[in-house]
Amino acid sequence: MKVTDQLIWELSNKAISELGVNATPENIKKYVENEVMKLNAGSTDTTGEKVMGRIILTSFGLNRPGVVAKISTCLANLNCDLQDISQKIMQEFYTLIMMVDITNSPKNFREIHDELDKVAAELNVKIYIQHEDIFAYMFRI
Amino acid sequence: MNFEFEEILETIRMTEIEHFDIRTVTMGINLKDCIDRNVNITCSKIYEKITRLAGKHVENARFIERKYGISIANKRVSVTPVSLIGDCFNAEEYVKIAEALDKAAFEIGIDYIAGYSALVQKGMTNGEREFLKSIPMALSTTKKVCSSVNIGSTKAGININAIKIMSDAIKETAYLTRDNLSIGCAKLVVFCNAVEDNPFIAGAFHGVSEAEAVVNVGISGPGVVLNTIKANKDADFQTLAEAIKKTAYKITRAGELIGRKVAERNGVEFGIVDISLAPTPADGDSVGDILAAMGLEDVGAPGTTAALAMLNDCVKKGGLMASSSVGGLSGAFIPVSEDQGMIRAVEKGYLSLEKLEAMTAVCSVGLDMVAVPGDTPSETIAGIIADEAAIGMINHKTTAVRIIPVYGKKVGESVDYGGLLGKAPVMPVSTLSSAHFINRGGKIPAPTGSLTN
Repeated sequence: MKVTDQLIWELSNKAISELGVNATPENIKKYVENEVMKLNAGSTDTTGEKVMGRIILTSFGLNRPGVVAKISTCLANLNCDLQDISQKIMQEFYTLIMMVDITNSPKNFREIHDELDKVAAELNVKIYIQHEDIFAYMFRI
Repeated sequence: MNFEFEEILETIRMTEIEHFDIRTVTMGINLKDCIDRNVNITCSKIYEKITRLAGKHVENARFIERKYGISIANKRVSVTPVSLIGDCFNAEEYVKIAEALDKAAFEIGIDYIAGYSALVQKGMTNGEREFLKSIPMALSTTKKVCSSVNIGSTKAGININAIKIMSDAIKETAYLTRDNLSIGCAKLVVFCNAVEDNPFIAGAFHGVSEAEAVVNVGISGPGVVLNTIKANKDADFQTLAEAIKKTAYKITRAGELIGRKVAERNGVEFGIVDISLAPTPADGDSVGDILAAMGLEDVGAPGTTAALAMLNDCVKKGGLMASSSVGGLSGAFIPVSEDQGMIRAVEKGYLSLEKLEAMTAVCSVGLDMVAVPGDTPSETIAGIIADEAAIGMINHKTTAVRIIPVYGKKVGESVDYGGLLGKAPVMPVSTLSSAHFINRGGKIPAPTGSLTN
């Protein structure tokens, strides 16, 4: 439930009529806070860190055996679904791009980010993750 | 895969190498419902409203940064012009409001709060006179509050009386903040044709015709445009224009997405994308360097104004296609202290105040972050403001002056504010007097261009 100014105004008016002579600023505040809490109970947290949909994972660095294995193992452990993968090797460097569905991951975006940061540090490579919408917005008309 | 390898790498290159970021997400908040006869009640209403609506603004912006991998340099709030909500107060009481804004800004962790503003292009109420008087004190006792005053418009003409008050206020602010290199003046803008949905500080305010709360977004991206121009080193102008437009399209799209998502998370309306190219003092993030890369030996060479005009126009054309809610100032910024290329040109003597003024005729937003000697007379500053306002009034565009007469400093010295405000070389100002002109007082009548009905 979105708490709008209109809602607070309506609740305040309701509080004033119900509280009558007891309608002090403190009592009204308490009443409104209570009502808002009731409305919010059971609803999903809109400010949480959970992200649905697909992300694009990009990684660069010095090529060596096991890079893809390490990253995809990490994603598997996070219950992320690897949907597409593309890689290029230039001399001793690699560039890797993966499309990953994170909808079913029990972890939120920040936790996935942190886990991949650990892998990046371990392999001494760069790993970026971005929601796919940014690419759709920038490159598709 | 839905996206090409190159597209994905281009995005990473933009954010990681070319300093592409979102310059600001600014939440505009209506304070008209905070009006009260008692200043202390007004202050507590303002504090309560800002902390309630924007309490999670910074946190939400950080989440969006992470989700899309594009950083947001500044998280800010703008409010209804304070002079409108406190017309019954005196100067001391207005300062209390500034302090309440400052306190709210610290509480919610934003970078700046703007809207300590007045709109006096046609005339001043008694409350507005008191408000203008309060500005130097307000800016010297607060850290995050920014102020702007609109002294002219194409419809109303130029209010010279207000310019006089403002040039004195600039001098006084410089004096009151002399221990910090007159930094108060960096938070004070004088406008002609101010816009109501500008997300950029110090000139932002939440206009009277705006909704209850909106999120406006300002893009950045000079570094990305610079690389585009470098990649088209010998191309003719049409080819170059095409390349700049394509780049502007992409960065505006990113801005639009980020703005919409931050607004959604905050539970408020999305306002506009301001498609201004805003430089930062970081290497390679300079509008000055773009102009040089277009083929000029350096900024200030003949051709500079033409180069800037083309750049500005191409950014608009690309941006317009990318967003259906373009607004704000939307033009390239040329702040001196915040742009390595401009600093270099001023230090080498390539760029004078007069050339800068010419450049402001074809871009937004005016003489911005210009340091001048501390002993520059108030009437001379008023003359500079009047000149800029005239450019804006006649050409139906926004112009502004953010000038810092740095107390105790002379031409040849320079002041370093650090961070996004950067470093400003003190520029020479004409020593010819404007006193008699300015002291005539009154108003420059609205131009014929105002009669459009």
